[in-house]
Amino acid sequence: MTGQKQSEAIGELPSGKPQTDALTPVVVTRLTWALFVASLGAVGARTLGWWTTLPTAGPFAIDGLTLLLWVVVTFFAGIVDSYSRRYMAGTHGVGRFFVRTLGFTLIVMLLAAADHALLFAAAWLAMGLVMADLIGHVRGWPQAQSAARFARRYFLGSSALLGVAIAVLWWVTGATTVSGFAAAAGSLPVTAVFVVSAALVLGAMIQSALLPFHGWLLASMTAPTPASALMHAGFVNAGGILLLRFSPVITAEPAVMLAIVLLGALSALGGKLLKSVQTDVKRRLGCSTVGQMGFMIMQAGLGFFGAAITHLILHGCYKAYKFLSAGSRINRTSPNPDSDHGSLGVVGVAVTLLSAVAGGAVFVALTGKGSGPDSGVLLLLIVVLTTLHATRTALAQTALSAPVRIGAVPFVFLPAIALYGAIYRTVETVLRDVPAVTAPAELTVGHAAVAVAFLLAYLAIETGAYRRSRRLYTALLNATRPPSATLLTATEDYNEY
Amino acid sequence: MSTETAIRDSIDQAKRAIGRTWPLHSFVTANPLAGFEDRPFHEAVREGERLYGGRGYPSASVFRRAWEQGRINPDRLRAALARHGYDADADEADPEALLDRMASETEASDAGPDDDADRTPTPSDQVDAVLTKWLSAFLDEGAAKWPMPDRSNGFYRAFRAAARYDRQIPDREAIAGLPDDPIDALADRLADRPRDRWASAFEHHLSALPGWTGLIRRRAEDGGVWQSACPITLPGYLAVRLTLADLFGAQIVPDGAEADVGSTPGNADAAGDVPLAEVWLNAWEATYRERLVDEVAARSPRVDERREDAGDDADDGSRPDAQMVFCIDTRSEVIRRHVESAGNYETHGYAGFFGIPMRYEGRGSAVGTDACPPIVDVAHRIEDRPRADREHRHERHARWTNLLEAGERVLEGLKSNAATAFSFVETAGSGYGAALAARTLLPGRVHTAIDAVEGRTPSAHEFCGPTLDHDDTDEGEIPRGMTFEERVEYAANAFELMGWEEFARLVVFTGHASETANNPFGSSLDCGACAGNPGGPNARVLAAICNEGRVRAELADRGIEIPDDTVFLAGEHNTTTDEVTLYAGDVSESHESDVERLRADLASATADAAAERAASMDAPSDDAERETKRRAADWAETRPEWGLAGNAGFVVGPRALTADLDLDGRSFLHSYDWRTDPEGDALEAILTGPMVVTQWINAQYYFATVDTAVYGSGSKVTHNPVGNVGVYQGNGGDLLGGLPLQSVMRSDDDPYHQPLRLSTVVHAPVDRVADVLSAHEHLTDLLDNDWLSLTVVDPTRDHDAFRYDEGLAWTGLDAPEPSIEEARESQVSAPVADD
Repeated sequence: MTGQKQSEAIGELPSGKPQTDALTPVVVTRLTWALFVASLGAVGARTLGWWTTLPTAGPFAIDGLTLLLWVVVTFFAGIVDSYSRRYMAGTHGVGRFFVRTLGFTLIVMLLAAADHALLFAAAWLAMGLVMADLIGHVRGWPQAQSAARFARRYFLGSSALLGVAIAVLWWVTGATTVSGFAAAAGSLPVTAVFVVSAALVLGAMIQSALLPFHGWLLASMTAPTPASALMHAGFVNAGGILLLRFSPVITAEPAVMLAIVLLGALSALGGKLLKSVQTDVKRRLGCSTVGQMGFMIMQAGLGFFGAAITHLILHGCYKAYKFLSAGSRINRTSPNPDSDHGSLGVVGVAVTLLSAVAGGAVFVALTGKGSGPDSGVLLLLIVVLTTLHATRTALAQTALSAPVRIGAVPFVFLPAIALYGAIYRTVETVLRDVPAVTAPAELTVGHAAVAVAFLLAYLAIETGAYRRSRRLYTALLNATRPPSATLLTATEDYNEY
Repeated sequence: MSTETAIRDSIDQAKRAIGRTWPLHSFVTANPLAGFEDRPFHEAVREGERLYGGRGYPSASVFRRAWEQGRINPDRLRAALARHGYDADADEADPEALLDRMASETEASDAGPDDDADRTPTPSDQVDAVLTKWLSAFLDEGAAKWPMPDRSNGFYRAFRAAARYDRQIPDREAIAGLPDDPIDALADRLADRPRDRWASAFEHHLSALPGWTGLIRRRAEDGGVWQSACPITLPGYLAVRLTLADLFGAQIVPDGAEADVGSTPGNADAAGDVPLAEVWLNAWEATYRERLVDEVAARSPRVDERREDAGDDADDGSRPDAQMVFCIDTRSEVIRRHVESAGNYETHGYAGFFGIPMRYEGRGSAVGTDACPPIVDVAHRIEDRPRADREHRHERHARWTNLLEAGERVLEGLKSNAATAFSFVETAGSGYGAALAARTLLPGRVHTAIDAVEGRTPSAHEFCGPTLDHDDTDEGEIPRGMTFEERVEYAANAFELMGWEEFARLVVFTGHASETANNPFGSSLDCGACAGNPGGPNARVLAAICNEGRVRAELADRGIEIPDDTVFLAGEHNTTTDEVTLYAGDVSESHESDVERLRADLASATADAAAERAASMDAPSDDAERETKRRAADWAETRPEWGLAGNAGFVVGPRALTADLDLDGRSFLHSYDWRTDPEGDALEAILTGPMVVTQWINAQYYFATVDTAVYGSGSKVTHNPVGNVGVYQGNGGDLLGGLPLQSVMRSDDDPYHQPLRLSTVVHAPVDRVADVLSAHEHLTDLLDNDWLSLTVVDPTRDHDAFRYDEGLAWTGLDAPEPSIEEARESQVSAPVADD
């Protein structure tokens, strides 16, 4: 014990590498980024016109949507992998985690390229099973296993619905491929359209966690944070992709499309309402996803499938960021935050209205949505409302000088809308060979009702009118509760470590 | 006794079962078993097992690893085994066999009925599920846009108003009929149960969700802005819980013949029954302590020699270029070593709140923070105010922060409105995508970018200063500023406690703070003596006090002579990157070159400390500074720094006792000189203050390591922050109170923190220490019950070491063999020891 050299520390702490699987994370991460680069190259080549005829071989068919999804899923998976190499270091089963994320990536790539109906369905099922496994990643934690089982039941349900849709289509048309179904969509009997559409829409709703199928998503927080990021940026999007793949069938009946709009709008507004009572970060993000997916499905229902795809990509960036930074959201707060709404005055009101119109104009000019008297008007309305709200809030920031406040509109808001327009155009270009990407519907009373609902929701939230009801508060709280078997009420159950 | 008194008494009796949990934004260290500190350690551990199912000792595998790495001295182990009745010569004392036995015993007790996870929830589970829902809604601190209605009426009444609509509660109409007063509700629930069972009923219910109840208890006892806005009490909580238990058909009073609350088990066998694990733990601790005590005792004679030398010729150029005071925090030990070897510098250790019990109101923060340890009452409100001569910088700063805040409000407004959130996501999504890629793929650059932005915008400390003057017009609960007498007191205290004698031209009070990204437990890495806040503001207050001419004159009257050329500065040690910032913006010309040189030397100390740190974090050491900065800014980093992990010792005495030792960041260091403290007042202050706080810190790290789930907060990988007050694991349930797994473990089953109880070493006459202990029952309680150990190196008794035994008795330890010490002496050349 004595007589050591002076340099030796007293009771030196352990150093050197702890024993963990170091190889799998590196290999998986590099492979995923390589796939990303390759997919990006393919999209580039395709957009520049170097690659004119896309291959269709056996059970596969590669089109613009395939390439786009490859880029998107490999990007998110690459981010999640690179993040997890540091975030998950030293945790049990880190190799298993990376193998699962790679598996998920490959399955989604397969799904995007599948043309044979059985391959499509198999990939769909496998995707759900892998995701359920990630929810239960912590093996020795009973609540996580319970949450995984809970989610798996939903995913099996959505797979079964997809199976029903495919079986009916096969039986009616005799085709076995997705493209075959699309070709025969025009000649389908009305009943078949309704049955198939109902199955598909329900399946998509489960996958995208729309109300009332949001339970699995809000009970999935036992997944490691990066797996949640992948789920909210990648997995839930599959609902929109399903509708686009089968768009020739569901667009055949305007009533189906209107139903999709109504269901989407219900989730869009409902999700935001559910979010308002949440106190924990991840469930708040989960409710936000329910709302955003509702909006995405609503865009699809309005006939703007390109807009839906654009939305799911941009929302993926947003939500992945929010999940990966979930730990930064502990703040010291005061119970009486000062309200920051000054009155706008005549000039303010004029500027606000003018900017809202300008925002709408930029949107119409760049995206073409809302230029005709069709369902695109609804999307235009929402953009106008957002610009109006942004301008109004910016003008109320009395701590800033007037030029800065007013300058926010031309120098920040309008360029932001223009950027969105540019991305939307790019997505549309890449998707140009996909059938029925843009199929605006005629305006109906239903659409008007949705518009009114959005306006009312805007006013209700601004005035806080809805907050009077204790009954509503309790109902919202209960609607977002995960099953009690997935709650860690006795911390000794968390006994993996 | 009236029913009400009986109920309140029973609650008071029962509440020791629960700890006190602080909200996560100011992570205050606490021993999770603090309620049982008046009982022997192994009994407290057993209580923890009974109440929460917690494990209280390291597992056999942890001991085995320590044994194999030679951290447990076989002789110490044999001695410990013999002391507890294990026959040292028989087979039963074979270490390997004992470890096997320990492992199989743990396995047997772990294999509970938990394995069938999908069991139908019991009524008690259902109560927990409903209750955690309402608790998280009520105790939310500003996270939900729509907070729970009627919160200002208190938890019980708010629950009564809302839960009548809760469809998850059977027979929910009954809730509307509850009485107005929670005590009446409790009386109704308990009416037909025997009174002597009430306390155990309350204990049962309070210990069911210990994370939440700990938060409630802390909040009810300490008050605060949220408690005044939304009050919650233990009777209110219990009334709700018992009502729910009644409605769900769960037990109100637990059955079984459990010991009554508060009564120590009278069973003599049980009391003497120290588990095998504790014997191993004792041996491990003894091994570490022996080495530490030997080294300290060996240096004790040298301290006296140095002092005699210094007394002979006061002006022999031995005056250091600067003196720096660091927090007693274990991380200071590392930077102090490197600062000392970077130049002619002297360092001291003092509690990092610098003795100033203040609530700090920083520039632009809405809420004041209590920057002092929880055993001290806040006595002053100190506001950071812009100074008139820095108006220009202030304006630039204000423009910048206003822009940021306004931007945040616009974004928040867009995100929170149901009608606008969707377009917001579409227009902002590409920006998030870019940030996503940058933060994940180029984490090192992010730190550089943040530095660049910060470099261009003036930070608050450049143009603000703490406002010290006492303001009697202010009618707040806590006075604003402090009086002249108080200022003198704080300065005198500091120098007396540290046994300060000579002042250099620069004296720097260095607080500390951490810098991490995406880390809910960031405040657990800040200054523990400042209640989980940065220590820089306190350092600035003390420096400002000491620079005041009037204060110095008064100090001179009290025998503390500060030369005219001494300037006091404040600084902050960044414990994540080991950078030290000096707040020296207004230092006079005469001292500019001193500050410049100190800055340069601090930079080289930073580099050296970073290299040492890189080794402990398994990172390449060739670019260690870049690595530490990357960890500070990387959002994917779950182990940005090791915090106080590894802490095991606390040395109270002059720096010369440890200056040439590498303590590997495992020891708290408090400066103290027994000769300048004839009355023992300073010693008393150190033992009752810093020693108690370090024991809490030590207990917190110990328990978080031995049971990460029950006493820690599990892995960060599945954390879910809730309500700005704490974290859940996964979907929710109980709040998790302690340190996360990544703070104490290198990987899921390889501890970095060595779970040892604190070994305190005090350099002072034994009698003086004994006097302090005999006057403070709480200290003897802690020591007698083995919550920490105390060894005294007595410079008046031939520098021998004495170990505190029990009941104020001491055991003399053998003095270190002089031959070894002499052999070492010749090789040692440490800058401080030699000057």
